[in-house]
Amino acid sequence: MTDDALDPLIHVPTRLKIVATLAALPDGDTLSFTRLQDMIGLTPGNLIIHLRKLEEADYISSEKTRNGTVSITTVALTGHGRAALGTYTQALRDLLGGL
Amino acid sequence: MNPTPDTTTSADNGGNFDPQQAAALLDQTAQRARRQFEPYPPWLLVIRAVGVLVAFGAVWLSVRGQHPYQHPTAAAIPVVITFGVLNLVATVAVARRATAGVSGRTRLRPAEIAVMAVIWVGVFAVMGVLAGAGVSDAVVYGIYPVTVPLIVAGLVWAGIMAARADWRACAAALAVAVVGAVAIPAGPAGAWAVAGVGLCVVLLGSAAAIAWRQRA
Repeated sequence: MTDDALDPLIHVPTRLKIVATLAALPDGDTLSFTRLQDMIGLTPGNLIIHLRKLEEADYISSEKTRNGTVSITTVALTGHGRAALGTYTQALRDLLGGL
Repeated sequence: MNPTPDTTTSADNGGNFDPQQAAALLDQTAQRARRQFEPYPPWLLVIRAVGVLVAFGAVWLSVRGQHPYQHPTAAAIPVVITFGVLNLVATVAVARRATAGVSGRTRLRPAEIAVMAVIWVGVFAVMGVLAGAGVSDAVVYGIYPVTVPLIVAGLVWAGIMAARADWRACAAALAVAVVGAVAIPAGPAGAWAVAGVGLCVVLLGSAAAIAWRQRA
């Protein structure tokens, strides 16, 4: 087995951290953009770029709500994203087991 | 999300990211996230276990020589109240920090918090009624305040956790109810010792289970 078996969308340090962090929450729970940014340690611009890529693949969902003048963005791992992380983790195990 | 220029580095696009690094990063990130999202961290449960032992132990020491049983002495009550207040403040502060920015099942619903508040107020209101009705001191200031709150609150909390499919928390809550039930035959003085040791064991067990899950 080669690195090609690893989902290229997840096999990027920052996106792997995003997906692994969101997967630590129970299914269906959402996390605010600011808390995720705080946990991952990225600039807002960089985080948005990675989130957009994950959202385009339907690995995460995001929602923007307004609370008065404050806008709050929340993100969550979708079922598809959770399954993709599971497949990625298994591929990683197979790959390392075979080394 | 507004358009923002892509300032990610080439290394961030997975170029030289080898599988071993990926596995280490995945493990490390997942463990850290589980720790940060945990509203009942093991260290807090261990401190609570020691606090329970000290508070219940102080009451037991103050009542064990009473024949007939009267009530915990004025010296022991401040220890219990201090423990209760510190425990509540620490629990709320840690849970708030852990669940900041999180919405959904992780957070307690207002109705669940209200149910627990009503239970706690209710059991102590009944204690006042029992005292007014002339029930013996051994029951009103001994067996009842040690065992009934643990049994009732433990069972209700277990129900709430079962509804959330949080089986670890459900088992811990049932264990608390069992501790309350087991303390009854120990009598008014012995119940404080049995409940203190029993709760300490349950809390240490929960701390170990959570620590093990965080590493898994």
